[in-house]
Amino acid sequence: MTTPPSPTVFVVDDYAPVRSSISRLLRAAGFAVAAFGSPQEFLAQYDPRIPGCLVLDLDMPAVNGFELQRILAKKGSLLPIIFLTGHGDIPKSVRAMKHGASDFLTKPVNDEDLLAAIRVAIEKDRALRRGQTNLTEIRARLATLTPREREVLEHVVTGKLNKQIAGDLGTVEQTVKVHRARVMDKLKVQSVAELVRLTERCGITGR
Amino acid sequence: MTWITIVWSMNAAACLTLAGIYLLVWCKQREGWAHLLFSFTAVAAAAIAAFELAMMHAETVGRYEALIRWIHVPVWVLIVSVVSFVRLYLRAGRPWLAWSICGLRTLVLILDFIFTPNLNFRQITSLRQFSWGSEVISVPIVAANPWILLSSVSLLLLIIFFIDATITVWRRGDRRRALVVGGSMIFGAILAWHVPLVIWGIIDIPFFLSFAYSGIVAAMAYELSYDLLHAAQLARQLQASEADLRETEERMELAASAAKLGMWMWDIARNEIWITDKGRALFGFAPSEKVDFDRFRTAVHPEDREFVLQAVENSLHTGAEYEAEYRVLLADGQVRWIAGRGHVEFNGNGQPARMRGAALDITKRKQAEEQFRLVVEAAPNAMIMVNTDGCITLVNTQAEAVFTYAREELIGHPIEMLVPERFRSNNMGDRRCYFCDARARPMGAGQELFGRRKDGSEVPIEIGLNPIHTSEGLFVLASIIDISERKRAELEAARQRSQMAHLSRVTTLGELSGSLAHELNLPLSAILFNAQAAQRLLAHGDADLAEVQEILSEIVSEDKHAGEVIRRLRLWLKKGEVQQHSLRINKVVQDVLKLIRSDLVNQNVTADVELARNLPTVTGDPVQLQQVLVNLVVNACDAITNCTIPERRLLIRTGIENRNGSSAVTVSVTDRGGSIPEEKMEQIFEPFFTTKAKGMGLGLSVCRTIIAAHRGKLWATNNADCGATFRFSLPIGVPDKEVVITNN
Repeated sequence: MTTPPSPTVFVVDDYAPVRSSISRLLRAAGFAVAAFGSPQEFLAQYDPRIPGCLVLDLDMPAVNGFELQRILAKKGSLLPIIFLTGHGDIPKSVRAMKHGASDFLTKPVNDEDLLAAIRVAIEKDRALRRGQTNLTEIRARLATLTPREREVLEHVVTGKLNKQIAGDLGTVEQTVKVHRARVMDKLKVQSVAELVRLTERCGITGR
Repeated sequence: MTWITIVWSMNAAACLTLAGIYLLVWCKQREGWAHLLFSFTAVAAAAIAAFELAMMHAETVGRYEALIRWIHVPVWVLIVSVVSFVRLYLRAGRPWLAWSICGLRTLVLILDFIFTPNLNFRQITSLRQFSWGSEVISVPIVAANPWILLSSVSLLLLIIFFIDATITVWRRGDRRRALVVGGSMIFGAILAWHVPLVIWGIIDIPFFLSFAYSGIVAAMAYELSYDLLHAAQLARQLQASEADLRETEERMELAASAAKLGMWMWDIARNEIWITDKGRALFGFAPSEKVDFDRFRTAVHPEDREFVLQAVENSLHTGAEYEAEYRVLLADGQVRWIAGRGHVEFNGNGQPARMRGAALDITKRKQAEEQFRLVVEAAPNAMIMVNTDGCITLVNTQAEAVFTYAREELIGHPIEMLVPERFRSNNMGDRRCYFCDARARPMGAGQELFGRRKDGSEVPIEIGLNPIHTSEGLFVLASIIDISERKRAELEAARQRSQMAHLSRVTTLGELSGSLAHELNLPLSAILFNAQAAQRLLAHGDADLAEVQEILSEIVSEDKHAGEVIRRLRLWLKKGEVQQHSLRINKVVQDVLKLIRSDLVNQNVTADVELARNLPTVTGDPVQLQQVLVNLVVNACDAITNCTIPERRLLIRTGIENRNGSSAVTVSVTDRGGSIPEEKMEQIFEPFFTTKAKGMGLGLSVCRTIIAAHRGKLWATNNADCGATFRFSLPIGVPDKEVVITNN
């Protein structure tokens, strides 16, 4: 496995002087910076594997900050977003935070406030990425299950007894027991409680 | 009686008859001295004939001596008379010769009475008698007196005098007179020489000296009678020509009467005025009344008397044509206007002798003039009439009031005195042009006109021009309206409009959710970030100078940008002078986009812009036009926001349209929002009509006022699919004076 790339601060602002001055400030503070003039430009070049955070201007023509936030969420991106706006008000900041924004700052912003927000965001990203790594492994283990084993798993996490499961699937209790043991083995869990916690993280719900 | 007695007597009688006739003629014409002289000559000739007859029949020596002595008297009379006749009548002969002859003859006459028995002879010794025909004639035998030489010399001088005079007359070209009068005199003078020949016994003939003189008398009589005949002929001719003249005069009088002219002639020396019947009627003179200058003077209206007298005096002194228009006061109190004209005739000494002229009744013309004057006077506007030379000929009271000049100060002066100096030269040119192509029209189309008052101040005016063709030539009647009050009202309206527009702009700014203040955040942010980046770079101690340089230049440029935003804001909020510029509408659209950029972004509305190329310029106030466009765009954004259709776009488009032959630049704002109910299509432009919760309802009404002040139109239409389009048009071309007005 290669060493993970160093965190980068992505800057999206349609106003060039602000874009370039933020970039300059962040570089001076020791961050790697990638600046984009519009959300479209950012989406075209963004590599989700690169860790870091996004400093996003809220007021932009065509696609604004909120829309980019929505698009990224849709794509499953967990990149933390710090909103920068010329005229922030309470409804806007509430809306931004509700949709998972890391911070909401009003221009002109003091450098220390901005840098602090960026550091928090990068730390958040790092934690998220760590969690994200475990999940990937679990998903890989889940992928090894046969369709029958997956069916059995979905019944087990609802808390049903083997006999009940056999009845639902139209088989015998012994067969269910074998499948259950194999699922526990494949997913490397020792208890049903552990199995339930794992499936919850992957979004698998019982039926 | 013997025949000699008969012939000599007849000769004498004939001479006396002629003398009598011409004496009578002289009595009638005292200045005809030639006639008197002729009478003397003829009488003398008759007397000589009588003496000759007596001498031829003399019986004694003593009687003969006495007769010779006394015959010298008629001879003296005859010679002096003839010489005088030649000098006076023929205007010939040398004066010294004439005086010599007269002097010599007088000496001869005096000596004749001193010597005994007479000048001719020292002594008559006896009488010799010879018979001539059936007559016996006495001739003296004498001892001659040497002093007789004086008489001979006088006769010789007489012949020379006659010859000289004859030559003079001949040379003068009057050959007939030279031959008849001069010839007979010379002949007569030569014939006189027979007397000594008879006395000396060389020839035996009777004395016929009287016949020699009678020849002269006959020639003189012939000449005088010729003159009398000629005079009579001339008199006849004169009579005929006088008749002609009278006829001409009658014709002229007829013509004058037809033309209602009264003809007159003033004999200045006799102070008599002859005047035609028509003239008498004009002045109210009785038909037989004797008219002199004083009578004429009393006929003239008392108020005009002095002026008429001056005109007459002036003609008499300078010889100039007499010309005057004056009133005559008739007996019944009626007033009649007369135009008088005349000229003076001078005598040989340069003194005025006569004055002739005519008088015309111009009462009707004067009444028409008076009516015209009253109409002009009663006109509600200032009226000024100007002739082709640009001189003022008529003004009314209103004109006096507008220009603050008195009437007398205006009449006869050039109209340019009422034009401000900066327009004067142009006005003179324009005036000439107008007289070339004179028709009724307003003056100075599209320009603001000013008049100049007496104190030099200017007054805004409007002028209508009317040509007036009269018998005295072309005049222009200018009707002038003082538009100061209107200007003031316009100014007040413009001031209120400007205040309203300003109020509306401030309101609009409040309504702009993005607000211009936000625009300041961008450059301020950039400046702050740049400055802090520089601080960090410098704190590390390893600052890249090139980068710091870049940071500083960006700070400078952003600071300028911020300044620009503030300037725009200030302009927008500025209150006061409405300016008129020649401007490009596309620039106005671009400026507006800069103003409302952040608002569009904030409301997530995209503005599409389609600007037509090469649009002509329009004239107007850029801020007010921006204000209109901002209002329309803000309204469009509101319409989009209130609409459920997700398309958040609006379209701003510029173009040109031709309607009724005039071109206009148009600007339209189209949204994809809801449509306007038809019944509210006009209502939306009324003040205080609004659909917005927080709106004042002034925006569109102010917009329409602004566009109307730019002579443009603002209206709304619904789009075929959805939304509405607001459009305004502005005329192309000449500056509009409505917009020029400033509010101070």
